[in-house]
Amino acid sequence: MTCAEFQKVLPYIIDGGGTEEEQHHLASCPVCSDLVADLRYIAEAAKLLVPMEDPSPRVWNNIEKNLEREGLARPARRSS
Amino acid sequence: MTSQTTPLAKLASKDAGQHWYKTLTTAKKVLASGMSEQEAIARAQQGDAECFEALYGLHKRRVYSLCLRMTGNTAEAEDLTQEAFLQLYRKIATFRGESAFSTWLHRLSVNVVLMHLRKKGLPEVSLEESMEPQQEDGPRKDVGTRDNVLAGSIDRVNLERAVESLPPGYRIIFVLHDVEGYEHNEIAEMMGCSIGNSKSQLHKARMKLRDLLKQSKAEKAAARH
Repeated sequence: MTCAEFQKVLPYIIDGGGTEEEQHHLASCPVCSDLVADLRYIAEAAKLLVPMEDPSPRVWNNIEKNLEREGLARPARRSS
Repeated sequence: MTSQTTPLAKLASKDAGQHWYKTLTTAKKVLASGMSEQEAIARAQQGDAECFEALYGLHKRRVYSLCLRMTGNTAEAEDLTQEAFLQLYRKIATFRGESAFSTWLHRLSVNVVLMHLRKKGLPEVSLEESMEPQQEDGPRKDVGTRDNVLAGSIDRVNLERAVESLPPGYRIIFVLHDVEGYEHNEIAEMMGCSIGNSKSQLHKARMKLRDLLKQSKAEKAAARH
């Protein structure tokens, strides 16, 4: 099996599965095993992207106005 | 060393307790009072405005981050966050607790974003792909070349920048699968595509990210020399 053939099916087997031939190629080919390692590393690193930013205050202000206009919420008491 | 005007100095003053309470957001006040999220939801279902605000405070960051990552635009993300919460509040009476509230809200938010993208006419994913390679999908010239691995070299900032640079279709799939944890069958259902298409697009997104991250790594190394 060539690297091109393996990489063509890689999207469908990267999370498991694959034929014996494909598994063998992965185990024995440093190019493809490096590629798979990188792609799995990127997938893992995505979990670093925790939510970090808040929307501006205008978002809640607009929501609040709409809720009152639609009669969905009783106006909140303002705390001093 | 603190001056009388710093937050620390204010907290140390006699009315520190009152001051501390005044600085709490509504979300924290509601929960600091001992109310659980479940109770806040029940009260919001009755129209309690403070509980609406508390729920917003608890979930705004995640919803906004999702919208921002999927659109790449802060103004759009804010509008979509607003729309997602408005839809939530309009439908909140129908929430029965079969799933976690956050899951329910999250799905609703994803649908709001996808609807928006469809209206804009943005290609969420390419048309159903055949298994035959397209021109752009042909074997890469360097397919047999060993390359430096990325392991250990990615930080959050670089990854965020790379994700922002992705074409919209790739970015959406990557965010839904790798960031937000949706499975391919769920993405396929949401996007109206096949599972195979979802896997293919995700692969392309990851390959593109790999290229961007390697480029960034090479530029940094060059700058050091």
